[in-house]
Amino acid sequence: MTTVTTGSTPTSFGVWISGLWLIVSLELRQRVRGTAWYVLLGIFVLLVALVTTLLWAATGASLVGGGGVFSLIVFFVLLLGTLVSPALSGNAINGDREAGTLATTQVTLISTGQLVLGKFVAAWITSLAFLAASVPFLIFAVSAGEVSAATIGTSIVVLAIELGVIAAIGVGLSGVVTRPLFSIVVTYLLVAALSLGTLIAFGLLGAATKATTTSTFTPVLSSDFDPETGEQSNVVCGPAETTTYETPRFDYYWWILAANPYVVVADASPGVFDEYGSPSDSFAWIAVSVRQAQTPPDLATEYNACEEASSGYSSYSGEYPGMQGPGPTQQEIYDSALPSWFVGLAIHLALAVGALFWAWRRTLTPARRLAAGSRIA
Amino acid sequence: MQLGIQVSGVSRAFGSVQAVADATLSVLPGSVTALIGPNGSGKTTLMLMLATLLAPDAGTITINGHDPATHPQLVRASMGWMPDVLGSWPSLTVRAALETTGRMYRLSRATATARADELISLTGLEELADRPSRVLSRGQKQRLSLARALVHSPSVLLLDEPASGLDPAARINLRELVRRLAGDGTAVLVSSHVLAELDEMADAAVYLTNGRTASPEALARAGASSRAWRIRSLDAPALASALTAIGVSPGITSVDKLGTLVQVTGEAAAVELLGRLIRADVPVCDFGPAVGNLEHTFLDLNRGTDVMEQGS
Repeated sequence: MTTVTTGSTPTSFGVWISGLWLIVSLELRQRVRGTAWYVLLGIFVLLVALVTTLLWAATGASLVGGGGVFSLIVFFVLLLGTLVSPALSGNAINGDREAGTLATTQVTLISTGQLVLGKFVAAWITSLAFLAASVPFLIFAVSAGEVSAATIGTSIVVLAIELGVIAAIGVGLSGVVTRPLFSIVVTYLLVAALSLGTLIAFGLLGAATKATTTSTFTPVLSSDFDPETGEQSNVVCGPAETTTYETPRFDYYWWILAANPYVVVADASPGVFDEYGSPSDSFAWIAVSVRQAQTPPDLATEYNACEEASSGYSSYSGEYPGMQGPGPTQQEIYDSALPSWFVGLAIHLALAVGALFWAWRRTLTPARRLAAGSRIA
Repeated sequence: MQLGIQVSGVSRAFGSVQAVADATLSVLPGSVTALIGPNGSGKTTLMLMLATLLAPDAGTITINGHDPATHPQLVRASMGWMPDVLGSWPSLTVRAALETTGRMYRLSRATATARADELISLTGLEELADRPSRVLSRGQKQRLSLARALVHSPSVLLLDEPASGLDPAARINLRELVRRLAGDGTAVLVSSHVLAELDEMADAAVYLTNGRTASPEALARAGASSRAWRIRSLDAPALASALTAIGVSPGITSVDKLGTLVQVTGEAAAVELLGRLIRADVPVCDFGPAVGNLEHTFLDLNRGTDVMEQGS
């Protein structure tokens, strides 16, 4: 009567995993409740279909390849995923506490770690369903050609990880914040801080931090020009004129952009450029823009026309020794800068692990400290 | 290893509120102990500490020889807890909820399924077995909650207000089930506000007032104090005049539609009163304590604290 039959799995790890999976399947049966969720998924598919069609027409994908369409669909899935995931995961723990089902699980042999991780895995699987639903459209974009396997692989893997990060933050906050509505709102705010807040912080901080740039120009007052040799003689130099102006220092803050999930997805994909060195998908566009911000502005530019004239340049040769040639191509900028995606991904993973760990600490039983106004059962 | 529940000097505060101040009790295997106290006396807090969910600030608890604060897993394996709040996974059927709970106690899939069937018939939920639990009424949810507490055949059972919301038939079933479990060797601690019911179910009672369990001396005092007995006669005027003749002062009697209530100190005095009424030829058809033992002690103990509070 009092014996507890041990499950069929023999090892303790097997027992642990089967307990974890029990929580995952319970969560999926509870939260993915029938009609409403499938309607949401249906609306999602419709939206992605609409966006794919419009992108197809807008970019002329049948002519230039599917790279642009593919990258924009990935972004759209990330956008909708970040909008839906907090609502599905943001009350995983405190919602159960309010419904009185958390404590009845905690008195069983399910550990707090299995409970928190199980809820996270279930929330992740739920948001991956949205990624899975968009796969037909991604395949469609790929079918237009010009999308490398590396781009497909990395962008989908990184997108899946980013959806997991949001699920982890949602589940984590639901274990930390007492009230379900409040934890959902905080999750949304955190997602907004990463998606939009990083852009705003980058723009404002960069623009507010100004450096003084000096530009020196030494003019030629007069000279004799020999049209046959194309050289100048009797060059009379004027005094050097120095002008100063303020330049924003975005290069100090480029790492803020690295924490943006869209930048992480874009920067992680291998950059694809056309023959002129221009980006051929929106991943590469974003990656170039972010990496461009790493380059510090030239704080002292100098153009000595006088010296050039004296050293004798030929106006026919088209050479301007003192001036830079045509600027580096975007591909060259991309290749010379530091890739930032793993910095951003590391920040996100730290946030996710931290949120889950905090939730685990707050959900441990027997509870020693309780937040004011919270109850156990 | 000491089986059953042992609680000694346990206290627990929430901020400045001392929910449990000094609780001492023991429940032996095979016995049913009632946990009785007014609202807010710390019953549920004490239950939560026994159920491994809340750590005590001071004192020791052992359940089947294990401390729930340090070895919660060992305690959980042999302890069943029925909470006072109704919590059930709304979209799971009754059967699925019981199977899932069984799996959480590491029962094999087959065992969990068999056990769920057993408990469904034990708690009379056959007709609702395949309905989602959100359609259950309060009493039906209460039965599901009891079944869930029994999934792993625990040897220690904690029931927090198990009878609330149950209809009379279900209450009788609950009482019989609890007695049967105790007969099989389970140590049962049950809290309830329906004291008359606990009277029939419990072997022993623990009274909790302001987080303290009543001392044996206080219990003895309460048991010996005068209590109301109800007397019903076929001839009400004859009873009234006989009581006056015997010398029972009208000030300590009251009359309700069920009979006349008389304050009597102790059972010996009651026997004597009944004898004198019979000798006076009063046709007595009902003579018994107006309130059960538990209720009497409960009311007396709480009257005591009220007096103390007024005095301080």
